[in-house]
Parts: sequence; C-alpha cells; structure tokens
Amino acid sequence: MTWISKTVTFTGLVLLAHACYSAVEHTTLQTTLSTTTVSPTHPSTSPASLPLDISLETLFSILTITFGFALGTSPLRPIQWRVWAGLIEREGEEAFTNADGEVSRDYVGNPFKMLETRPGFVDIRRQRKEFAEWVKHGRDKQLELL
Amino acid sequence: MAPSLLHPPSHLSPSAALQLSQKAPAVLASSPATISNTPITSLFSAKESSDLWLRYENLLLSCLRTGDEQSANQCLERLVLRFGESNEKVMALKGLVKEADASHNGDLEKVLKEYEDILADNPTNIPITKRRIALLRSMGRIPEAVTALIQLLDFLPTDPEAWSELADLYLSQGMYPQAVYALEEVLVAAPNAWNMHARLGEVQYMAASSIGAVDATYQKYLAESLKRFARSIELCDDYLRGYYGLKLVTSKILTDSGKSPKEVKPTDLDDFVLPTQGIVEKLNEAATEKLSEIVRRYTAQEAHWKGYDKEEIAAAKELLAQDAPQTTR
Repeated sequence: MTWISKTVTFTGLVLLAHACYSAVEHTTLQTTLSTTTVSPTHPSTSPASLPLDISLETLFSILTITFGFALGTSPLRPIQWRVWAGLIEREGEEAFTNADGEVSRDYVGNPFKMLETRPGFVDIRRQRKEFAEWVKHGRDKQLELL
Repeated sequence: MAPSLLHPPSHLSPSAALQLSQKAPAVLASSPATISNTPITSLFSAKESSDLWLRYENLLLSCLRTGDEQSANQCLERLVLRFGESNEKVMALKGLVKEADASHNGDLEKVLKEYEDILADNPTNIPITKRRIALLRSMGRIPEAVTALIQLLDFLPTDPEAWSELADLYLSQGMYPQAVYALEEVLVAAPNAWNMHARLGEVQYMAASSIGAVDATYQKYLAESLKRFARSIELCDDYLRGYYGLKLVTSKILTDSGKSPKEVKPTDLDDFVLPTQGIVEKLNEAATEKLSEIVRRYTAQEAHWKGYDKEEIAAAKELLAQDAPQTTR
C-alpha cells in the first residue's frame, strides 16, 4: 500500500515542479517579448495571465499529491468506545503498534485496569512474599526436571 | 519483550517483574540522575521529561517486589533529589521502601507510627493515607483499615480507586451488599469502565451464590448481575470476561427456573426484573457462541486475536467443556 501512495505522491510532485517551471518560463518569455516588441495595440497579453494548461496542471498535481498523502495515512483509530475497548482486549499492544514495531506512546492498555490493581494501595509485603514463593517454586520445578 | 516501564507494574506476572528489575542497573546507568534547572547547564544536558520520573517510580516498585533493594534505593534517591523530601508521593514511596524492608511486626508498627505522625501534621496527604490503609490491611487489621478508608472517602468521595479498594476489603470479609454498594460508587465515578462492570457482575453473582435459597434477594442479585455483564459487553466488543460471566449467570438462571415455579414479584419499581426465559436462553446461546469463537480463534493464533490472557482462555475452555455433554445429549 505504501508504494502506491509514494508513487502517486511522487508523480504529483513531478507534475507540480513541471507546472512551476512552465509558469516561470512563460512569464520570462512574455516579459522579454513585451519589452522587445512594443505593441500598444495588444495590451491584453500581460505577463500576469498564464495559459490555461499550466493552471490546470498545477491544480491536477496538487490534487494528486493530496490523494497520495491520503493513501499513505496509517489506519484510523476507532472512535466508537466499544470498538476501541474491544481492540484493547482482543489484540492488546499489537493493535497500537506502528509499522516500525513500536508501541504507540499513548497506549496504556485498559485505562481502568488500575481500578482493579490499585497502585495507591499496593501491598508490597504480600507481593514480595508471592515473588519469593514463585522463585522457590520455579527452582523446585527446575530441580524436578533435572 | 519486556513490558513498558511507563505503566504501573503491580499487575505483572512474577517473570515480567523479574525481567523489569533485571533491567534496572542498565536503566539507572543510562538515565540521568539529576536534571539541572539552571538554564545554562540545561542547554547541554538531556531534556527533562515526565517519563523519566514515571520510569523511576515503576522501576522502584518492580525492584522492591523482586527484592533488589540497591536499585530501589537508587531510584528513590533520584526521586528525592528531584522532588524533595516533602513531596507527598515521594513520602509514600519512602514509606513503601521501609515497609518492604521491615522484617518483623515491630518495624511495621514503627512505619505505621511515622505515617500517623505525617497525617497529624497534614491530614489531607492522600498518598500517605492510602499507604496507611494498605499497611493496616497488610497487617491483618481489617476493621481499622475499613474505618480509615471510610474516613478518606468522607472527604474524597470521587476517588474510584479508594471505592474499589473498599469493595475489595468488604468482599474479603464476605460482606456482599456493602461490596456491591462500593462498586456501584466506582461506576458512578467511572461509568465506562467495562472491567468494573464485569467485576460488579461477578460480585453480585458471588452474592447470589452465597444465599443458596431461591428467594427475592437471590433473584435480584442474579438479575443485576446479568445486567452488569450485558453492559460490560456493550462497552467492549469480544470481551472474554463479560461473555464468561454472562454464560455463567444465564446458565444459573436457566437451571433455577425449574426450581421456582412461582415468579417472584419485584418489590420495588426500580428493581430490574429478570427477562423472560426465552431471552435468557438466547443470551446463553449467544455467550456460548462468542466464547467458543474467541477460544477457537485464539488457539488458532489468528491475526488480531492474540491479546487475550492465556489463563482466561483456559478457564473459558473449561466452562465450554462442562457444557458440551449437555448439548450433545
């Protein structure tokens, strides 16, 4: 998907550059023409007016660039609460990981989890005991395996 | 992959906590100890971010859990250097380190005394108040903890964390109506918390199971529980816990419906009446279907379905297996 968006954007940029170059060339040509051949009978060919094809090319290139950018955006985040919550439960971090494998900075998992873990009331002595038991248990298991 | 240091680590498994605390020396070495606040030196040193201090706090908690006192003390020192001794949160963390160090009850009494001294100076120090309650609970003095918590909630009635702790305390004592009330207060403060809806449903289910006889209160609890689980699913697509509870409750209602031929009339207009048997059956079927879908897709390791907890999936499998012989008959 990204290569499509990149090609489209690149094409748009090339077109835009081409349109700019044509506009510059056209104005220089107009000014040199108007200074060398003074023709008071034709005042309408002022250097400010560009030919229609250059204007059209500019507009078209800008539209193409916008389209390319729009194609390249990352998937949109859900705006419905239940969909977003479901994403957290079903996929966890995976849903909030970008193409580089980094978890989005504002991802916190279930933000209401702290109501059940309650970090303000943490019972550190029980946690330590449980951890020590886990270590002991793991060691026993390893001994059994040996 | 090690879990992020930016989230409180208390729910992590022991192995994840160990992983975090083993990273501690590296994290401590790579992060700056102090951040200068004079403008000239701050031009040359690293920029201060709130993440840094959050990281230290969470690292401190993990290290305390795994018994790595040296790193824990280092984290604490840096936090004290930055925020000062009189910062309320730092005071609570210091107390936490002392609690973890305490080897016998005398030490704990001393820490408790210190908390009480701090609170005598400033009775609105919330982190220390919470620490004191947690310590009382840890020491097994539940009635005192409940009294202190109720006092805290008197002047801070909008803190869902404290209400949730109160609910847990009541639940540990088997006081179901009080626990349900406290959880309802949590939902007033956080009405979109899908896990708390499921939690309330679970507590109501437990309360109904504890009654035993089929009477009006029993039916009211079951109806409320059904409602809560349904709400949690409404708030969160494919919520395993919600569907699990929904299946449990609807199965119970369906098995009970044979026992009580007479419909119990609701005494209060506000009471939620049990839906008709047809609806309950449909809900049960939907929950079974969804649970088996979740289990199937998780076991097949399908993309976008890997976020569930392994043990929760195992429990759901067991529940479905209990059901299987009945459906094949």
